[in-house]
Parts: sequence; C-alpha cells; structure tokens
Amino acid sequence: MSFIKRFIEAETASRRNFLLAGAYGITGAAALRMFGPSPIMAMTYDEPTIAWSYRNRTNPYWNEIVSGGEAFVESLGKSKDDLTHLINEGSSEKSLADVKALLAKTDGKLALAIDTNDAPNARPVVEACVEAGAFVSTLWNKTDDLHPWDFGDNYVSHMSWSDEGPAEQTARILLDAMGGKGGVVHLGGIASNNPAIERLNGLKNALKDYPDVELLDAQPADWDTQKANQVMQGFITRYGDEITGVHCANDTIGYGVLEALRAEGMDVPIVTYDGNPQAVDLVAEGKILATVFTNPHWGGGITASLAYHAAVGHFKPSEEPAEHREFYGPTIFITPADAQEFKTNYLDNVPTYDWTDFWGPSNGQIMYK
Amino acid sequence: MIRDIIVKWAPLLVLVFLVLLFPIFEWLEDFRAGKDHIYLLDSRFFSVRNASRIAVAATPGLMVAIGVTFIIIMGSIDLSMEGSVSISAVIFAFAFLALGGTLLSWAWLAIPAAMLVGAGIGFVNGLVHVVFRIPSFMVSLAMGFVGTGLALVLTGGDRIRIEDEVFRSLLTVRWLNFPIMCYVALLALLVAWFIQSHTTLGRNFYAIGGGEELAQASGLNVARIRVLGFALAGVFFALGALMAVGRIGIAETATGNNFMFISIAAVVVGGTALWGGIGGIPNTLVGILIVYVITNGMVVIGLPSWLQDGVLGVLVITAVVLSTSRKSISFVK
Repeated sequence: MSFIKRFIEAETASRRNFLLAGAYGITGAAALRMFGPSPIMAMTYDEPTIAWSYRNRTNPYWNEIVSGGEAFVESLGKSKDDLTHLINEGSSEKSLADVKALLAKTDGKLALAIDTNDAPNARPVVEACVEAGAFVSTLWNKTDDLHPWDFGDNYVSHMSWSDEGPAEQTARILLDAMGGKGGVVHLGGIASNNPAIERLNGLKNALKDYPDVELLDAQPADWDTQKANQVMQGFITRYGDEITGVHCANDTIGYGVLEALRAEGMDVPIVTYDGNPQAVDLVAEGKILATVFTNPHWGGGITASLAYHAAVGHFKPSEEPAEHREFYGPTIFITPADAQEFKTNYLDNVPTYDWTDFWGPSNGQIMYK
Repeated sequence: MIRDIIVKWAPLLVLVFLVLLFPIFEWLEDFRAGKDHIYLLDSRFFSVRNASRIAVAATPGLMVAIGVTFIIIMGSIDLSMEGSVSISAVIFAFAFLALGGTLLSWAWLAIPAAMLVGAGIGFVNGLVHVVFRIPSFMVSLAMGFVGTGLALVLTGGDRIRIEDEVFRSLLTVRWLNFPIMCYVALLALLVAWFIQSHTTLGRNFYAIGGGEELAQASGLNVARIRVLGFALAGVFFALGALMAVGRIGIAETATGNNFMFISIAAVVVGGTALWGGIGGIPNTLVGILIVYVITNGMVVIGLPSWLQDGVLGVLVITAVVLSTSRKSISFVK
C-alpha cells in the first residue's frame, strides 16, 4: 500500500507547489506593477486638446471654476475659445458619454479637467481616459478607492476640499458672536451632497464646545436662494426669537436667509460659505459675519494646468509624491475685518496666477476616514 | 350630483383641513412637553404673521400659476415658465439699473419692459404652436430652455442685485401686516379673474377647452385666441419674475427654478382639469395656497423636507383622479 501513500503525498506536494507558484505569479506580477512604473509607458503630446467637463455655468461657483480654466488656456497664448467645454447638466451618463466622444475625436490627445458629477462615475471616466492615452485631472468627485497613483501617469491628480474644518471655524465665529448662548438653525445644501454633510458636521463639532447653544433645526435648502428664503420663513414661524444665529451651508442660501430676516425686521448674525463676490460685499457691510473662500478660479485653472503639463511631458506624475497627486484645495476665511483687503486682492483684480506652481496654494494630502 | 359638489369644493376643503391640521401637531408637541397650549389660539402656524409669510412666499408662484391657468383652460400646456421668469427677471434687472436704478426715475420703464419680454416669449410660443402645429408642451418647453439660455448669456452666470429701497418696499413696507407685494398680487389676481369671466377672450378660452371643433365650427378664430392666450400667460410669468426679484432682491438665471412643478401642481390641485374647459382663477388661488401651506407647515412642525415633495406628488395625483370621471375619457395618452 505504501506506493499509493507515496503517490498521494507526491501529488499533494506537487499540487501545493503548483498553487504556490500560481499564487506567486499573480501577486508577484501585481506587486511588480505596484512598485514599478506602469508597463505601458505614457505617451505625451505636443498640442493636446484642453477640455473642462462640469455641470453648467448657471451656478456662480462653476462659473468661477471655468473662468479659471479659461485664464489658464489664455496664459498659454491661446484664445479662451480653445478650451473645450463638456457640459453634463448634472447627468453622470452624459458626462461619461461626452468624454468618450471627445476621446474618439481627439484620438486620445487630450488634457481633461473634470468633475464627474458623482463619485462612482469617476472610475469609468478615468479608465476610459487611461485606455485612450489621454491625461485626466479630477476635481471634487471620486470614490475613496480610486487613486491617481494606480494609473501610472495618465490619471494626473485629484483635488478636493474638506469642508468640515472650515465650516467648524465659521460656526465658532458665529457662536462667539451669539455670546455662546441661544439657538442656532442650519440651512443646508442638497441633503445627499458631500459638502452639505461636511458643513453641517462642522457646525455640530463646534457646538460640542458651546453647551448653552441649542441646534434648533437643520433643513436642506438645496443651495437655492428662493428655497432658503422659504425654509427660513418656516424657521421664523416655528422658533421666532429663539433663533439667535443662522449657519448657512453656502452664500446663495445666505442671501435668501438675509431677505427672510429683513422682511421680519430681524437682525440675527449669520455665517455662510464659498466667498462669492456678493457675499464678500455683504461681509464688508457687516451683514454676514464670515464666509470661506475656496478659490474656485485657481482650482479650475490648476486642474486644467496639471492635466495639460502632464500631457505635454513637462513633468512626470508618477515621479511625484502622493501629496502632489491627491490634495486639498485652498481655504481662506473672510471676516468684516479683512473683507475689503480680500476684495481688493482677489475679486476686484483677479490675481494672475503662476499656473505652473501646481501645489503652492494647496492644503496637504487628502486623508480618508 | 353629490360627487360634482364634492369635486367642486374639494380643493377648498383640503386647504381648510391643512390649515387646521398643522396646529394640531403644534398642540401635540407642546402637550407632550407639558406646556400650556390652547389649540389655534397659541399656534404659531395659525397666526397673522405666518399668514403673511405664506402670502409672501406664494406671490411669485401665484402669478406664474395664473398665467398657466389660462393655457390649461384651453386644453394646452405651457412649460416655458422657468425660462420666461428667468429672462424677464434678468432683463428687468438690467433695464432697471441702466435707466437709473430707482423706481422714482425712468427705471420704472423696466417693469413694462419685462412684461413685454414675457408677452413676446408667449407670443412666439403660441405662434410656433399654431402655425407649425407642434404640440404646445414641446414648443413651450423648448422656449423655456431658450429663455434660460438667454438669461445665462446676458448675466454670464452672475447675479444682479436690486438694492433700490423704493422697489424693495414691495417686501419691506407693510399695510395691515401684509407687505405691499401681496396687495399687488391681489390686484393682478382680480385682473386675471376679470379677464377670465368678463371678457370675450376669457370666455373663448373655455370654449376652446370645452370642445375645439365646436368652437371652430361656431366661427371662432381658434388660432388667434391661442396665440393671445400664450402672450397673456407670458405677461403673468413676467409679473411672477418681478415678484420673485422683489422678494429676494436678486435677478439671476436661477430665478425661474422650481416654478414649473409648483405652478402646475397648484393649478391641478386647485381643481382645474388638464384637458381644459373646467376650473379657473379662483381654483388656482386655492391651489397655490395649498402648495405653500404644505411647504410652510412642514417646516413649522419640523418634518423633513423630502416629505414635502412626496406629499405634494400624492396630492396632485389625488386631485387629477378626483377632478374627472374616468369613464367619460376614451383614451389616455
């Protein structure tokens, strides 16, 4: 019987070896790919098409983003019409379809800056670009498991903003102005939007240090002035003079809140977010206590610039450290004390940025929870 | 017969029901908290101050809903309101600032200018609809996009602030607790009601909605009345734009947002039938109040806002089901 036993032993051993070898083959190759450069060398182009893909220009925020993109294109000595606009109107399907169409048209000779509309859409967009040999930089939306360094050179960079910290700081300014007591209401963005969630969390974090302030209510106002006006009217009916402070998720909401307060003859401190020119004026007039400027002009320009300079080969993304591939955008606080100075420096004359200083104003590597 | 009476008065009953319903929630809340609360008397919702808030919120929507009521009575539909409101608001703001920036100068001309713009868009709507025989919903939807696009081109995505104290007194000055804009809206409402019930044009809308072939055979110039109807609707859309700017002090491309759902929901919930001939301006007033009482009441009793849209949706469907006898319709498309 021993030969049967030996046979079984031999078979088991060889199968184990085979499995081990197989496993090494797979992981080893993957490991090599992880540590070494991508086996497909990225090709660069002399005159890539430069494109920005975004929601639409109706929204002042996106208007600023795209004006930055245009300023960058002009800095190359081109006309601003040389920037191709892909407008997704809030549809991820259209966003992806437009990118694929442009990839086909340009044969992959493309430097693309994009907000993919929602996070899950970032992967198919990036993969389509990488496959076609185009260079892509993303803004705002991507899933946490998608990283530029997994795609060699072609997925150049991702920029986003963490709003929790800045929103917490504006909340502290508000809560201090309220004398650390009373009631605060929050009017938020579209409930499922990440910035809307983060900005409310910022307020909640700040409230932990102010036990005498009650969060009376928090309702979404969909980033919309008219909606915010109505929601604030409802709050005034429900809470009346209990409201001694208003925390708004952005400037557009703040405008509606101010008008609702004005109609009632109420004077309550409010803080907003985004630093739109009109809000900065209102801060200077003392009607808004504080807002946060995220410099969308720079963000829009530098995202296009990163994709372009990688595409023409001025730098090699895969040789850059991680904090140059995924990073937070800048945040600047604006209060009545510095509103005028800010206005002169940033709004009355839009600064001429050095679009090759890719990471100067950025705010460190993106951290995942 | 009884069914007819119920259908006729249902919208008003719903409104009364809602107005009495929200204070119950307030009473319950205070009761649970152990506070003294006399039903209705201590209600924050059921108060003059809140009535004026609801009225202020509802005025722009009411103007737009009145406009589309005329069209729906004819059995057509006008979906251009969002674009019409945006472009009228933006042109008003530009003209207002260019002509002096205060109502006490030539800038008042911006008001008729905005109404002309609204009428113009409506006129084109009607003309394309009648001449090229394209369904009104398609023409007006497309014209709405054109309006939004134009507004965007004019503003470049910026918002225009109207700071004039005289114009803003629409909101800031109150007579008997209600801002002036509510009285202006009331006046417009009376004019619309007069057009509907005391002019040939108004009666002809019903004639077309009740039976277009019959109206045509009786010698009515249906095409002309349709075009006039769309132009009239455009004027009311522009009035809605003026109210919206008066309320917020800002004209922008987004000024027209959300008016489509609100106005059509108001017309339908008020009991005006979508195939024409039934309903009218008083129904629309009740309808818009239902819509805004719900919006306001939900916030006042602290319900999440996603419920508001859901409740409105259910109300719209219920209203359509109630307002018609299904058996008399052979096709639904």
